[in-house]
Amino acid sequence: MSLKKLFTNWRIIVLLIALLLSLVAIHPSLSSDGVAIRTVIKNSSAALAGMQSPAPNSPPMSREVILSINNIPVKDVASYNDIVKSFKPGDQVIIKTNRDSYILTVKENFKIVTLNKTEKVPVVKQVFDNETNQTINVTEYVEKPVVIKESLGAQDLGLIVYDRPTSNIRKGLDLEGGTRVLLEPEKPVSDDTLDLIISNIKERLNVYGVSDVIVRPAKDFSGKTYISVEIAGLNKEEVRELLAKQGKFEAKIGNKTVFLGGHEIAYVCRTADCSGIDPTSGCGQDAAGDYVCRFRFAITLTPEAAKKQANITKNLDVIMDGNGEGYLSENLSLYLDDQLVDQLRISSGLKGNAITDISITGSGVGKTKQEAVKDALANMKKLQTVLITGSLPVKLKIVKTDAISPILGRAFLKNVVLIGLLSILAVISVVVIRYRSLKISIPMVITMVSEVIILLGFASLIGWRLDLAAIAGIIIAVGTGVDDQIVITDETINKERASVSLSWKDKIKKAFFIIMASYFTTVVAMIPLWFSGAGLLKGFAFTTIVGVSIGVFITRPAFAVIAEELFKND
Amino acid sequence: MGVFALRRAERIRRKKKKVVPVTKSKKKTLNNEGSFKVAKAKSAGGFYDLHYKLLLIIPILMLVLAIAIIGFQVYKTGDFIHRGVSLKGGLTITAETTSLTPEQVLDVLKPQFHGVDIEARSLEEAGRQVAIIISADITPDQKDLVNKFYLAVQKATNTSKEDLSVQTIGSSLGSAFFKQTIKALFIAFLFMGFVVFLYFAEENKSKLISSIITLFAGFFMYSSSSLLNFIALLLAVVLVIIYVKKSIPSVAVMLAAFSDIIVTLAVVDLMGIKISTAGIAAFLMLIGYSVDTDILLSTRVLKRSSGSVYDGIISALKTGLTMNLTTLAAVIVALIFAESEVLTQIMTIIFIGLLADLINTWLQNAGILRWHLESLEKKKGVKA
Repeated sequence: MSLKKLFTNWRIIVLLIALLLSLVAIHPSLSSDGVAIRTVIKNSSAALAGMQSPAPNSPPMSREVILSINNIPVKDVASYNDIVKSFKPGDQVIIKTNRDSYILTVKENFKIVTLNKTEKVPVVKQVFDNETNQTINVTEYVEKPVVIKESLGAQDLGLIVYDRPTSNIRKGLDLEGGTRVLLEPEKPVSDDTLDLIISNIKERLNVYGVSDVIVRPAKDFSGKTYISVEIAGLNKEEVRELLAKQGKFEAKIGNKTVFLGGHEIAYVCRTADCSGIDPTSGCGQDAAGDYVCRFRFAITLTPEAAKKQANITKNLDVIMDGNGEGYLSENLSLYLDDQLVDQLRISSGLKGNAITDISITGSGVGKTKQEAVKDALANMKKLQTVLITGSLPVKLKIVKTDAISPILGRAFLKNVVLIGLLSILAVISVVVIRYRSLKISIPMVITMVSEVIILLGFASLIGWRLDLAAIAGIIIAVGTGVDDQIVITDETINKERASVSLSWKDKIKKAFFIIMASYFTTVVAMIPLWFSGAGLLKGFAFTTIVGVSIGVFITRPAFAVIAEELFKND
Repeated sequence: MGVFALRRAERIRRKKKKVVPVTKSKKKTLNNEGSFKVAKAKSAGGFYDLHYKLLLIIPILMLVLAIAIIGFQVYKTGDFIHRGVSLKGGLTITAETTSLTPEQVLDVLKPQFHGVDIEARSLEEAGRQVAIIISADITPDQKDLVNKFYLAVQKATNTSKEDLSVQTIGSSLGSAFFKQTIKALFIAFLFMGFVVFLYFAEENKSKLISSIITLFAGFFMYSSSSLLNFIALLLAVVLVIIYVKKSIPSVAVMLAAFSDIIVTLAVVDLMGIKISTAGIAAFLMLIGYSVDTDILLSTRVLKRSSGSVYDGIISALKTGLTMNLTTLAAVIVALIFAESEVLTQIMTIIFIGLLADLINTWLQNAGILRWHLESLEKKKGVKA
């Protein structure tokens, strides 16, 4: 067997490159001590010390990890909480992460208690004195209830942490758990409306980019209805903002409604050319020294909505402003959940004409310009989501938010790895018995293990969340891999086959005819599953298609080459 | 359930025994077609060879029985599978306890409630557990069971009434899920049959026609209009007729995959397994495994360069059995060492599916292929 010939074969080279890229993408880590930062709460001690929340979709291994607090090493979430418990208001805390060192001051938590006593409190009022024609300060004494500030001890540092990730492989709700939110509709709703709310919530989350979500109705025995939402990958704040907003979007001219969010908006721009930070106004600083950035994005109305708007505008008067440009007498007011978010002036040229393209603007704030940009883009994304999915039939109130543990935890994963290794042994045993050759097991093990690594590498690269369906897809891909390897072995090496007259190349061709036919049939069967219902079926179809493709195009051809080298001259 | 599985195990053992001696004697009689049948009848232990038409009855009976079982299940419970709590929803009790883990609570509760699917997870705030949510597939109308469960949870978590809140929770998959899944499976089968047709049929005209019909049927089924869905069903019938006329192997492959899933479904129903979302994934995996062995069989038989149909089948059998055995070995290992219910459920479904596949590929698919091809050869013989 010539190793040199083996390693210069292009199929082997492709396999090795794929393996290398996958290992880089997975980025397995050696150390598991420390806790990673999931979120930094606004205005907390941590935020004031300069700590920042990670970007929403950043790879797990790029997250900032807390290694020690006041030089006490932090091992996991439990030890982090133990250390943090002991702080008192005013304490200085030094947090060392894998990137930087931060100094935090522990803030105090207050409770304002109103007593039954009252006291006279001086209040300064500005009064216009008719005699002197001046505004003077007058001090009055007003009876106000006595308030005392009760100290509740140290305020939490404002860091939400989780156990340090050991690789870039992202885990889904099944394996890692997530955030659970319990929502209650403000008014009692019928079952049909409940279904509508649930599908709207699911759509909203999907549009926002979260597909690993379980939404279901819950009723307690007093008849109250709730909606339980379980999400992986979003922090509590984001969930709150996405779900608590009813999302009632209205555009009015005067008192008349021109269009609503949802189906009257034909298209919401999300690409860089017509959405993002506003190039004309950009970012600036406000009086307090905070940065403010403005965003804008374009939306297109449906022709019907545009026509409605034209009907309203044709009856308005034109007003000339200081620059000689004509505008209509009424503005286009945009309301989100009954709060005015923007007012747009309508130029006179559009009077009586249907405007289909409108630009929506808004802003975001932050302590640094970078933070402000992040905030602005996040707010823009939420607004876009709400406009695309339309408003909920009823306003929802968030009753509870907690972190929920996974159905299958760490023990499950360890079990899966163990079973994986034992299964490989079992498969090899059958193969060795069947072919009476130990040699054949080498390329088989290499192929099986490579397929799993490359599949996981691909998943890490594109940020795919591994959940139960994904694991099922991996099992299927490796299973068909073994089947294909047996087909190749039987066509080429097996001496019992009568076709010794064919060349090695022809034998491989015959084997791959079978393999490709199976491949296409399987892929074609997965495609309808990919397009139907969200969640479970999509994940399974995706991992199966990717898995068998990796097998058919990368690992199994390599197996054929290795087998050829090992057995050709037998 | 025990009898059912035993019978199937016996059949496989019987079949395996018969195959081996046949190979040796077959080589001697590999000559012209005429003396084929006579030679076959003479060879000892040629049960698999001789009585393939008779053996076809087994998988067909199995399929009919399976459909009957599922039908009965639908009649009795209104649903074609037993659903676990993640699919069906049920009762959830939130117990405020910080000292017990979900696993500990499950260990106490599960032995008390056989046949009830129970899940337990923890709720955390600031990294510390504040409560445990326990879900069970108990419906509110089962009042006695509800009370019993409530008291058991109270005792197991050592909490008082104030720290317990009870709710009923709906299914996590939504009502449209099953309808969508069945539609998707329908389209999947259509596409599968079409690909196999492309590979193994001879006439190009029928390939073109069937590709157009398949595309239309796929689109119509995907839409939400019931009328279009119905038209899709009709188109599917047309396709099956085309396949039957032009390429029986396509029908055989589709039938084998279909039978695998239906038979596994029936067995799972009989065993009373409560399917979770994991179980659904396992059913879909069966499609992949079934296709592999069927395509292997079809290729070795239809694209063989020499030998009889039977030879093709036997050569496929050797490779195919190795394929099935490796997967079976892996699944059995997994079943022995699996510690989570989820894995056990997936592996059980695959295990049953593989056993069904053994019968459906080597008795049903092989039988259909052989019958069809040998009757074709007979026709040719008569014509000549």
